[in-house]
Amino acid sequence: MTDIRELPAVMEVCERLKAKIRCDFVGLAFQNEAGPDVRWHYAAGNMNDKYKRIIVRFGKGIAGKVISSGCPLMMTNFPHDIHGKMTDYPIALAEKLVSVYAVPLFLPTVPKGVLLIGNRASYLFTGEEQETVNDAAKALEQLLTGEGF
Amino acid sequence: MDPLQTKQQISSYIIDSQEEDIKRIALELHEGVGQNLYSILTGLQFVNSAIKEPQIKGYLQEMTLLIEKTIRETRTLSVELHPPVLTTLGLIPALRSYLKLYTSTFGILVDLDSAGMEKIIPERNSIAVFRVCQEALVNAAKYADTSNVKMTVHWTEDELMIRIQDFGKGLNLKELRFPKPTSGLAAMKERMLLIGGQCMISSKIGEGTLIEISLPL
Repeated sequence: MTDIRELPAVMEVCERLKAKIRCDFVGLAFQNEAGPDVRWHYAAGNMNDKYKRIIVRFGKGIAGKVISSGCPLMMTNFPHDIHGKMTDYPIALAEKLVSVYAVPLFLPTVPKGVLLIGNRASYLFTGEEQETVNDAAKALEQLLTGEGF
Repeated sequence: MDPLQTKQQISSYIIDSQEEDIKRIALELHEGVGQNLYSILTGLQFVNSAIKEPQIKGYLQEMTLLIEKTIRETRTLSVELHPPVLTTLGLIPALRSYLKLYTSTFGILVDLDSAGMEKIIPERNSIAVFRVCQEALVNAAKYADTSNVKMTVHWTEDELMIRIQDFGKGLNLKELRFPKPTSGLAAMKERMLLIGGQCMISSKIGEGTLIEISLPL
């Protein structure tokens, strides 16, 4: 898989999204080419580099859940509004995220990636903000499909 | 009998029964469910080699991938519940295997340093020590806000000592005692006491938390 850092256009979409929504964190996760595991490949606004080492099993964690279901996921007050244990959400623990909105990336037709925005305080992402994330996800899908993801 | 001693015996019995159940489920998943899934996988691969229709072949391929994924999930779940290495190879290999999973789950690097010759200890004791280490590490992932943990295991002739030091934000232990004791930390101490060992917890705001476990051998 091409390193996202070699794709400035992709990073630009993420940076623009972060500036527009004024969120604390933006992350991009993808399912591994071999095997069902999911890894975080890019982050903006990160506090540390733990995200690079996190491997989420298919169906687990925020990224795993979004990819396996193909549906967006929102958390507004982590760890108080979650199903399961707080350790099931490693990216939220690693980056101290309290609110999150994550959408699937269809590459080209099946969910293979996740675009996530997060804040380090309790927050309910508005419909307009969700729409902005959805638009950024569509732009990323086009860029990444063109790159053979 | 002394009420404290009775209470300890009851706690010990409950923990032992739970560990027995966990071990049984883990073994059943690995040896029973896992093996059956593996038989289904080889059966599907055999059927696939005899099929000519591309549509059905494609469908079988998807089924095979799904079974492979389920086998992996079952194995991981089984190891997460009760690492078989703990009984077959001992504490250090079990800890190394868990640390690999820990780093890939939470992104936290753990530097494990083992000194001295590993001794064979009763399974009940090795499980207790392993669970206390697990609890300490999970607590670091939950609350310490750290990227690095240092773990030292020291075997002497008559004692096993383990130090787990996160370099995180630390906590005020005095504040935690009131109004309610932190159950995770209290359980770690209790668990070590039940096998004749000790668990000391010290922490300083801004400098991290240190867990020291000792067990007479």
